[in-house]
Amino acid sequence: MTDDDAAPGRPAPGRAEGEWGRADRSGAPPENWEAPRERWLSTGVRPAFGPRSVLLEVAARLLTPAILTFAVFLLVSGHDRPGGGFAGGLVASMAYVLRYIAGGRHELAAGMPLRPNTLLAAGLLVACGTAAAPLLAGHPVLKVYSYTAHLPVFGKVKFASYLLFESGVFLIVVGLVLSVVAALGARMEAEEEEVRDRRRRGAAGREGGAQ
Amino acid sequence: MNDVPMLLPAILVLHAAVAVLLPPLAGRFGARVFLLAALPPAAAAVWALAGVPRILAGSPPQASIPWAPALGIGLDFRVDALALAMVLLVSGVGAVIFGYCAAYFHAGERGLGRLAAIMVLFAGSMLGVVTTDNLFALYVFWELTSITSFLLVGHDDRKEHARRAATQALVTTTGTGLLMLIGFIMLGAAAGDYSISGLVADPPEGGPWLTAALVLVLVGAFAKSAQVPLHFWLPGAMIAPTPVSAYLHAAAMVKGGVYLVARLAPGFAEAGAWQVLVLSVGLATMVVGGWRALRQDDLKLLLAYGTVSQLGFLTLLGGAGTQVAATAMIGVLLAHGLFKSALFLVVGIIDHQTGTRSISRLSGLGRRMPVLAAAAGLAAASMAGLPPLIGFPAKEAALEAFMPSAAPAPPAAAAWAVLAGVAVGSVLTFAYSARFVWGAFSDKSTVAERPSEPPAAPFAAAPVALSAASLVLGVIPWAVDGLAQGYAHALPAGPKPYHLALWHGLTPTLLVTALVVAAGVLMFLRRRAVGRLQNAMPRWPDAEYGYHMFVHGVYTAALSVTRRTQSGSLPVYLGIILATILVLPGARLAAGLATGGIDVPGPGEGLRLWNNPLELVVAAVIVVTSIATLREHRRFPALILLSVLGFGMAGLFVLHGAPDLALTLVLVETLTTIILVFVLRRLPTTFSVRPDGWPKRLTVLLCTAAGTFIAVSLWLMTAARTHPPISTGYTDLAKKAGGSNLVNMIIADFRALDTLGEVVVVATAAVAVASLVLLNRRDRVVDEPAAENAAEAPKDRRSDEEDPEPPGTGALALPRHPAGPESLGAEPSGQDPAREAGGADADEGSDDDR
Repeated sequence: MTDDDAAPGRPAPGRAEGEWGRADRSGAPPENWEAPRERWLSTGVRPAFGPRSVLLEVAARLLTPAILTFAVFLLVSGHDRPGGGFAGGLVASMAYVLRYIAGGRHELAAGMPLRPNTLLAAGLLVACGTAAAPLLAGHPVLKVYSYTAHLPVFGKVKFASYLLFESGVFLIVVGLVLSVVAALGARMEAEEEEVRDRRRRGAAGREGGAQ
Repeated sequence: MNDVPMLLPAILVLHAAVAVLLPPLAGRFGARVFLLAALPPAAAAVWALAGVPRILAGSPPQASIPWAPALGIGLDFRVDALALAMVLLVSGVGAVIFGYCAAYFHAGERGLGRLAAIMVLFAGSMLGVVTTDNLFALYVFWELTSITSFLLVGHDDRKEHARRAATQALVTTTGTGLLMLIGFIMLGAAAGDYSISGLVADPPEGGPWLTAALVLVLVGAFAKSAQVPLHFWLPGAMIAPTPVSAYLHAAAMVKGGVYLVARLAPGFAEAGAWQVLVLSVGLATMVVGGWRALRQDDLKLLLAYGTVSQLGFLTLLGGAGTQVAATAMIGVLLAHGLFKSALFLVVGIIDHQTGTRSISRLSGLGRRMPVLAAAAGLAAASMAGLPPLIGFPAKEAALEAFMPSAAPAPPAAAAWAVLAGVAVGSVLTFAYSARFVWGAFSDKSTVAERPSEPPAAPFAAAPVALSAASLVLGVIPWAVDGLAQGYAHALPAGPKPYHLALWHGLTPTLLVTALVVAAGVLMFLRRRAVGRLQNAMPRWPDAEYGYHMFVHGVYTAALSVTRRTQSGSLPVYLGIILATILVLPGARLAAGLATGGIDVPGPGEGLRLWNNPLELVVAAVIVVTSIATLREHRRFPALILLSVLGFGMAGLFVLHGAPDLALTLVLVETLTTIILVFVLRRLPTTFSVRPDGWPKRLTVLLCTAAGTFIAVSLWLMTAARTHPPISTGYTDLAKKAGGSNLVNMIIADFRALDTLGEVVVVATAAVAVASLVLLNRRDRVVDEPAAENAAEAPKDRRSDEEDPEPPGTGALALPRHPAGPESLGAEPSGQDPAREAGGADADEGSDDDR
């Protein structure tokens, strides 16, 4: 409940005047001075299963950007080192799975504003578009174009059209995992909750009827 | 004049372009867009007319656009006399009907732009059907007409009736269309040529193969042309707007099958089964259609059955394979296109002005709409075969074709039978033509007149013009005769040339015609007696009933197959898969080992204990975890053990120098474990214990055998390499392409097409998995409380209504009810909330372990 009160951006009660010690004249610390300034995760946390775990929430918060960066690294470096669109997509979706486990389905929805189907469609569009684009120039399907540039900081950098293709694969994999998680995790959870609500209401109704 | 440019491909493109333009314009100009829609067919008709001299001189214009030359598929066009006749019908009559549409439809008609666009697309596809010279292109255009016709019949998509009729037409024509495609491929493969002109000029050798191919092609053609017993879809399709019926079901689409029969007849009329099929089916259709037309009260249905009858007549003539029959075929083809579309348009006007097309409700229209009545009378007279309309010389020629004196005719007995059948069909045709005119326009003492206005001049112009054309061509039958001879000369000639003409002298044919007219008049005058006879006849087996039984049978069969094969038990599925592996490749392997057909590598070649001692550690982990998994009775620990096993495999990959594989395996292993945990919440904590006994022993035996088979075959396969691996050259290729990770170069570059296919499969699977899971869950959740406590049902229903989310949407499951404060905090008891709900499902979960 305290978590609900501390909405992001709103200072905790008792801290309105800014400095810690100024508000109290009795020597006691102000009320709720120890309340967190903001939340670790972006929604009211209701984990998918079991009680909340602060450790998990903190880990999810800290790791998400790192995991996503790593996923992009895998995607980009795939041509010379282990990685590629498939592995990168799996890693990226792992970040969302972690968020889901830590924060429940609302957290999943907040972390990924696109629906899985949108991701799947975008990925298919990118992959098929890359595949078909050479046809317009009269080349065979999926012909690879590459261009090597010398950039000031990065040195020699190669841009190749298979990177686009791999990005399509990446998006599709993320979409796949998210839609499975949404179907087997989030949606089931939502429905269980609904059933629970109805039972509770049903039980209350029965009691009311008995009195 | 001899060098009219081959504009046909451009005209086809024009159809498509105009179709794209129409929907946005329809909003602004209303029904007047049909005048724009009339442009492409009019252009085609004008182009065809301009080419008449050249085509009749025997040099048909040709064009060819390569499509897939290696497979013999190309957009080849060739406009000879038969194609010309069809183009005049499809595009000429089409343009007139489009003009009529501009007056028929109200501006507020729903989906007007769509209707106009699809009609133009249909006109283009039909033009393609009749002008293409390639079997595959013909099939493509053919199916395009089926699809556009589906959309046109189902134009009023809010009526269930219309949707059902459209589906029925689609299923019938495309289902048999597939058979026809098989027939085409068989024909083309036998002849080594997929061009129609080549096929007809040099038909393949006869034999069972050719017979089978021709039967398949004919089935497709018969269904398209509504021949018995596949005719049922045509009367059903009359739910379409009347101009659509006039175009599709009188002038154009249904002629497709007839056209195909006539197109192939010069090459195949002699082949086995062709004559029997074409003559018997055509004759049966002609008589059945005519008989049923006599019963109809709805003018449009009367015309529909009349069309069925005429199509039978045309099939008969087109397939007979003699010059006279072919001459008659072209004559009847054009005559029917003109009079039947005119009559349909007349019915459209009657419906439009009076609000009904039922014979029993119409009276006195002849007095109030004399022009229309005259036009309909002319068209009906042409249908009945009266001089001096075009229907008369055509029907004369048809009777002449089966006069036993006219050689080369079918055998005398068959000729007599066909002649008698055609005569009976003609009597019926005369009777229903008379019934049409009487029903639509006469004064009936028992029927009250309905108030109605005569149609405006532009509205009535189209049927009047078409009827006038019937009359003009009847007076100058040589105009049609030129076309007819252009087609007929390819067929075996009779003893003396025959031409379409009004007067051939006092011939036996004229006598037959006179008898037909007399019998027809008698039949019309005695219509009450005929009606009583029809009612007294036992009800014939209904072809439409057969269709429904067929569809129902397919559903039932599918359901029963599903019920039998999809038991829902995972062990059974796995058992079937493993048993199949053991029976098919396993038996082969055992046989190979027993006879010595498969080399067993000797000791020391191919098999080493290890490359790296670390492999021993990994192998030990794998062995220990697999045994532990088998002995574990709780689900969750078993899952963890399984994933440890998977990580062990990844370790092996690393040791063998395949980091890419290992990375992917680790990631997939992790994700599957997590997802399985989601599912485990719903399942009981332990596996159900099976009783000891034969089923259990059998399972153990099966699994052991499958495992052994896989291990042995892997060992043998890796040792049995006979060719150098295909990946040898890839290293150099990868260096050239500028990447050093070979695996990814293969995935994203060398074999990227495979990857593309896989990715599409993955996306499809994702959508399918989500839909399947959600579908199942949702039903259960909605049903559960209702079953538990019937007294709470009203409350449950209300909460369902509050649910704004339609089933199957919302994949990410955004919160449905804003989270209430009581549910926001941590569960106080620390009890797993999922268990509560999961408990209710425990009985279902255990089903999986049966």
